[in-house]
Order: sequence, then C-alpha cells, then structure tokens
Amino acid sequence: MRLPRFFGKKRGHRRTGSQAWGSFGEGLFYAGLVAAGIVFAALLLSGTVNYAPSDSQPVALPWAYAWCLWLLTMLIPGALLAFGGSGLARVVRTWGKSEERRAASERLTVLLDAMGHAIGEAPGHPGVPPCDDLVNSPGTILRYRLPIESPESWTLFGFGLFAGLWNAIVVVLAVGAGFELVSGRIDWLLLALLATFLAVGIGGIVVFVRALVLATAVGPTQIEICDHPLMPGEAYDVLLAQGGSGVFRSLELFLEVEELATFRQGTDTRTERTIVYREPVREWRDVQPVPGARFETHATITIPSAAMHSFASAHNAVKWRIVVRGSPERWPVFVRVFPLVVFPATTAATRAPVRSVALAAGEVVP
Amino acid sequence: MSGSMAGNGVVKAATPHVAVEFDRADRVYEPRRELRIRYHIEGVEPEVVRAIERSVLWYTEGKGEEDLGVHSFERIDDPATLAQASPVGTFMIPLPTSPLSYEGVIVKVRWCVRVRIFFGSGRDFVSEHVFDLGGVPPARGPLERLE
Repeated sequence: MRLPRFFGKKRGHRRTGSQAWGSFGEGLFYAGLVAAGIVFAALLLSGTVNYAPSDSQPVALPWAYAWCLWLLTMLIPGALLAFGGSGLARVVRTWGKSEERRAASERLTVLLDAMGHAIGEAPGHPGVPPCDDLVNSPGTILRYRLPIESPESWTLFGFGLFAGLWNAIVVVLAVGAGFELVSGRIDWLLLALLATFLAVGIGGIVVFVRALVLATAVGPTQIEICDHPLMPGEAYDVLLAQGGSGVFRSLELFLEVEELATFRQGTDTRTERTIVYREPVREWRDVQPVPGARFETHATITIPSAAMHSFASAHNAVKWRIVVRGSPERWPVFVRVFPLVVFPATTAATRAPVRSVALAAGEVVP
Repeated sequence: MSGSMAGNGVVKAATPHVAVEFDRADRVYEPRRELRIRYHIEGVEPEVVRAIERSVLWYTEGKGEEDLGVHSFERIDDPATLAQASPVGTFMIPLPTSPLSYEGVIVKVRWCVRVRIFFGSGRDFVSEHVFDLGGVPPARGPLERLE
C-alpha cells in the first residue's frame, strides 16, 4: 500500500499526488462538516447547549418559540449541513471516475440542453465563442456596428464610486466636527482626521473629473463591419467613424490577436494578457472632423488564411480585435478596442468580393 | 499484471505500455476527417484489466488553469466487449471543426487520444498520444501593448 504524500505539488486544480487519497481527504473534510452540523443542531434542539448567557439553566429551544429566532439559531448548523452535504455528494458522484469520464458526463448534460450547445460556444463549433452580442447592432453604412470593449468605462465608474463613497464619509465627519464646534468644543483629533480625509476626497474628485473629461472630450469612435463572424483568408470592409471637434494628428487602425490566461496564485485569481499578432491596417494623418459631423473612412481588413480562430474556454482565450489608436492635438493618446469573432477555416463560405471604396480626403495609405 | 525478475532477485511489476498507431504518420488531421486508431496494451495480463476507457479530447496548456473538452468517450467494462478491446483494439472517430491545435505564447491547445486501463486492484494507468487538428502555425511571440 502506498502512503499518501502530504506535500504534493499543486497548481490550481492540478494535483500530483494520488487522486484517490485526495478525494478521500476531501470526503473526510465534508463528512466532518456534516457531522459537526448534525451534532450542533442536536445540541441546540435538545437543550444541552445554553443559548441564553444570563440564564445558567440549560433551556431547550421550544418549537413554538419565536420562529425567526429558531431559524436564526439553526443558521450555523444549517450552513454546515448544506456546505458539507453538497461537498460530500460531489465527492461521492466523482469517486473513482477519470477526468475524461467526468468531463464527458458534463458534456452530456450540455447536450441534453435544448440549445444543443454549451453556453458560451458557437453552435457546431466547440471552443469558439458565439458572436451573438456582436451582430445585434445594425450599422449606419455597413451591416454591423461593433461594440466597444472599454476597460476605461469601468475605471471611470470605479473612480466615481470611490469619490462618492469617500466624500460621503467626509460629510459625516464634517457634520460631527461642526456640531462639536457649535457646542464650543474643539476636538483636534477629529479635525486632523477630517483634514486628511478631505484631502483624499478632493484628490478622488480631481482624478474622477480628469478621467471623465478625457473619456468624453475626444469624441466617440465607431467601427462598422460588412459581415460577421469572420473567416480566415477572407477580406472585410470596415468603416471607421470618429467624432469630436479637435484635430487628430493621426488615427491608426490595427488588427490584433490577444491571448488571455486565467490562473490562481495563492488565493488570488489573476488574468495575464499577451498580444501575439498585430497587423497595421491603415493610418490617417491630420484628421479634422467637420463641426457637427464625424470623420468617416473605409479600410479593408484581411484575416490570414492560416490564422487561429477565436477560442474561449473556462480559463483560456484567444481573442481577435480591431484596435483604433488616436493622437488628438490637445489630449493624450487614446486606444479603443472592438472585439471580433473568427471562425475556423473549414467552414469558410464563398463570399462576395469586398466592394471598393474611395479614399476620404486627407487619407494616407501606409 | 505481468512481472519481471530484476538482477537482485526481486520481482518487479512490469510498467504497462500502450502503443498507439495513427492512420496518418504525421498525426496531422483536417477538421471533420476521420481519426483511426489502433492500440496495443503491453505488459499487462488481460485478466487483471477491469475496464478500459478510450477518449479523444483537447486540453489547454500554458499559463492558465488547464481546461479540458472531451470530444469522444467510451468506457468498456463488459467482460465480453473487454475481451475484444484488450490487449489490441481499434476505434474510429470523426473529428470536429474546432478547437484547432494551437501553439500560442501563454495559451496552447492540444488534441490527444487517451487510453486508460483500470486494474482489479483499483489502480489505473493512462497513456496519452498527442496529434494535431488543423494546421495553424505557432504564434509569433509577445508584442508590446499599444498605448
């Protein structure tokens, strides 16, 4: 009999030790939780445990007593039973099964789904993300308008939330300090705390307003595309529309592929992103949108014939995207990202050639 | 399981070995084509084999947590069928359209055939044989993020 290794190398869900011993230990842990829940509940219900500290006599929990108190008291043993029971059921269900068998049974559950494909997968294309969210917005000139993938919006929201919450605390402190002053007392500690909090609060507002101005001053960028999903070896007409009133020293259009890998490091979950392919599509110099209108121009993107398709699984992804980089004359450089979905080459259909488009005035073809 | 006599007189259990033959020598398959496999289990007495699992699957490698997708799975534990599937067996599987094999920088997608043997003692032995689905070239390498 081989003894278990207590210090097996572990990364994420992977284990290098014995699967059977690992599952046994896991089962033992959940069984312990269930046992603790049962014992705890039994003690409470039988009155062995005194739940009224002021009363030295053991008191049973009467069923007719306030039901909400009864429920509250049973919350901890109930949670132990639920958590332990579900864990134990999972261990029993997967006991002795290979990872392929477990994965296959999960897939069977998915196949029984009315949709006939896994959630987050394009029908008939395992591992390829769906493009439903990318084709539900019609374009003004071309067929689809691509949604913008903007982490800046969430950053802006975060700055706003921080500024709002922090300054709410400042207001509460200020009201307290105001009452102290009115009553003729000066609490120097409170005033010092208020001054520090006020400085941070003002800083938070400044950062939020700056981010808001940067996000709104440049003007919106829109990308429209003639078809979706994309196929390797095919060319697609793309419309770039840039709003705003200032002059842009340059507007650049890129086609990129980004890899994403999510992994656990201790108790943290981290996502690493790496750009593995970039194709400069076109560049426009000295762009000045006409007041009240937007700058509109066309370009053609070509997906390489041997390209990897879009891929998405639980912790890994390969993403295609169009990137617009702009250099406004009076503002910092901005980058805006528009996601694409590329299907595998085998399903490429015969497509009409991309229509030719006249160059807009002032365009520079690199 | 068969045993072999070591030089010091101690009987050592032979390591099981599964030899797999693909119908294509380069092990590169086009999507939707049929994959034909012939395997030969060596170093194991057929009577100690309790079950065999044959699967065709993809998994990810790289920096992220490993993801796994089973395309085809077959468990053989019926004695009559087991006798036909061990020690030599064949199977054919039509391959899917995706995901294609991919050699990225931090994400890699690999396809493989796995033959897992379960013994009467409760132990199991797995043999994995990688092949390529599609002909996607490796990723060029990490590039600077646009600012």
